[in-house]
Amino acid sequence: MAAYLTHQQKVLRLYKKSLRHLESWCIYRDKYRYFACLLRERFDKNKDVKDMVKATQLLRAGEEEFWANQHPQPYIFPDSPGGTSYERYECYKIPEWCLDFWHPSEKAMYPDYFAKREQWKKLRRESWEKEIKQLEEETPADGPKTEALPPARKEGHLPPLWWQYVTRPREIPM
Amino acid sequence: MDFPLILNISMFLTLLILSSPILLPLLSKNYQNSPTTIMRTVKTSFMASLIPMILSIYSNMENTTFYWEWKFITNFKIPFSLKMDQYSLMFFPIALFVTWSILQFAVWYMASEPYTTKFSLFLLIFLIAMLILIIANNMFLLFIGWEGVGIMSFLLIGWWHGRAEANTAALQAVLYNRIGDIGLILCMAWLASSMNTWEIQQHSSTNQTPLLPLMGLILAATGKSAQFGLHPWLPAAMEGPTPVSALLHSSTMVVAGIFLLIRTHHMLCNNQIALTTCLCMGALSTLFAATCALTQNDIKKIIAFSTSSQLGLMMVTIGLNLPQLAFLHISTHAFFKAMLFLCSGSIIHSLNGEQDLRKMGGLQKLLPTTTSCLTIGNLALMGTPFLAGFYSKDLIIENLNMSYLNTWALLLTLIATSFTATYSLRMALLVQTNYTRIPSITPINENNPAITNPITRLALGSIMAGLLITSYIPPTKTPPMTMPLATKTTAIIITTLGIILALELSKLTHTLTTPKQNVALNFSNTLGYFNPLMHRLSSTKLLNNGQNIASHLIDLSWYKKMGPEGLATLQLKASKISTTLHTGLIKTYLGSFALSILTIILFTQN
Repeated sequence: MAAYLTHQQKVLRLYKKSLRHLESWCIYRDKYRYFACLLRERFDKNKDVKDMVKATQLLRAGEEEFWANQHPQPYIFPDSPGGTSYERYECYKIPEWCLDFWHPSEKAMYPDYFAKREQWKKLRRESWEKEIKQLEEETPADGPKTEALPPARKEGHLPPLWWQYVTRPREIPM
Repeated sequence: MDFPLILNISMFLTLLILSSPILLPLLSKNYQNSPTTIMRTVKTSFMASLIPMILSIYSNMENTTFYWEWKFITNFKIPFSLKMDQYSLMFFPIALFVTWSILQFAVWYMASEPYTTKFSLFLLIFLIAMLILIIANNMFLLFIGWEGVGIMSFLLIGWWHGRAEANTAALQAVLYNRIGDIGLILCMAWLASSMNTWEIQQHSSTNQTPLLPLMGLILAATGKSAQFGLHPWLPAAMEGPTPVSALLHSSTMVVAGIFLLIRTHHMLCNNQIALTTCLCMGALSTLFAATCALTQNDIKKIIAFSTSSQLGLMMVTIGLNLPQLAFLHISTHAFFKAMLFLCSGSIIHSLNGEQDLRKMGGLQKLLPTTTSCLTIGNLALMGTPFLAGFYSKDLIIENLNMSYLNTWALLLTLIATSFTATYSLRMALLVQTNYTRIPSITPINENNPAITNPITRLALGSIMAGLLITSYIPPTKTPPMTMPLATKTTAIIITTLGIILALELSKLTHTLTTPKQNVALNFSNTLGYFNPLMHRLSSTKLLNNGQNIASHLIDLSWYKKMGPEGLATLQLKASKISTTLHTGLIKTYLGSFALSILTIILFTQN
């Protein structure tokens, strides 16, 4: 993913956030649907403008209108950043290496899991070098451009840093 | 019948039953606590606390029990004495009843959480600290309870401590309460130095208490009861789980400040300045909180601002020199406010964590018991005749109308009363009526008795409590007996006006006008711009001043300007002036020789 946004992406982001703020203003769905259709028509009217200068000017005017008419307390979904239950269970999430510190009597309560665990750890040790080599090859010289990790490229290889993903804690812990 | 003995024993029994979940695991290894056992303990404790209450109503008797004296220094003794008067004996069953219902609700609400036993234990420790505060006869024991509830509030608000906002909110609560504690400690220091005791003596003193300790007490109440100026922590405290909001931040902890003023009323009643401060601050708080509640979209924040507004009303009552009426309002308010929070908790959990009113609607058919009790709670809050809120709120408005005090405070309180009706009705309409706007299809039901039983119990309390308390406790001050019809019906007329306003605004929400911002909406929505202004302004000013003192004053001024650099500048100035004389011409030098010889001859002539 590049570091710049295309014009299409900017327009679509403006459309989505203005729809969300419209939803925050117009509580009742029929009223919201009416104004959403009007907004859609306003966007569709200028959809075929080929002149980039004019298109950028329209986008800028749209952003300024959005800023003037935004809702002071927009609706945020509970699990989104800024929502009421965002990161609520962060305090119960523990990293998986704590499992290594369990007492043998505690580990004996889950024998199947801990037997398999040694195999998984062996797999991780084996694939670690290959993951690092792939990451070093694929990262550009002045640092990575995005946070996204590349997939596995060769047959029999595992995707880089798969352990962090596979052993991530549950979203809503027990 | 030996009333004092039975009173003491039953009170001691209540406290012992209450502290058993904490003491028993220390004494026996096999005893395991669970949320259900803690709930049953509180229920038993409630039953036990009914005995002293009924006894005191029957015999009209108070008691002060003195257990142990801490001989601190020679002439300053701190007796650990408990005061069992009508206030503490009435508040015990109410607090225990509300806590019992909340703990039963929390068994369901926190079922999917780890560490539910710890949660229930925290609530229990909070309750014990609160009851210590209530029953204390001296400021020291009251201070122990005061700080105890502050600490438990911090721990409970920050229950989900992985969340940044929860940690900020918990810190806010502690810091704002700390500012209030400055006032309390000031008053305690004055009491220790001038009266040589920390006992709260109930003599009606004709001698005036000076203004400073009273201002300290009012500051303490401002901090703890979230009056205007030290109020932001209360809406922020909604970050905690709903049972915490229901217990601490609606019924019990926030009334501790008002309770302090009720207990120390004998000091306040003669000082007109202190009473006027209470009156005006209460009026300002109630209007400000009601204004902020009008445009909030989070259901818990609306109820939080409603609590803040009612606390302002209680402060107004203190300012009117009516502590017993303030206590009546505390008692009735506990029931319907806790119930409102429990109803909101039931709605939130059913909607899978959704707290925004804009995504609720049509819940009347989906959650019939909860929404009915929500309606009852809202009606009680508005002061509907003969529900619980009516007995206290209507009396307060009548007394306010008939007193010869500040008209500005009266106007503010009346406007706030109408706003109460407005935001209550707005909340009820958006939650219950119209087509549903729920985002997901969750299995919504109320089949669990752990939900319906506490809510219906508190609904019964909201309906009956006002009548029961006013029937059995006679007022100590004569209420105004005759007044014009307009004055008598002021409260109900204002409430009706508020309802009409809410209905008009609701109709406006349906009409197809383009929505946009306006000044009033922005003011109300951003809570009067108070939070960013105060939080950022005070800290930047402090840090800027600190930087100025550290770097400019010390480093720059003293070390540089007064020291070497200053000397160098002076020298530079002097040398620049004298450079003009160094021209290099012999005539100038001869002239200066002649001038200096002349000056010497003239001086030596004398």
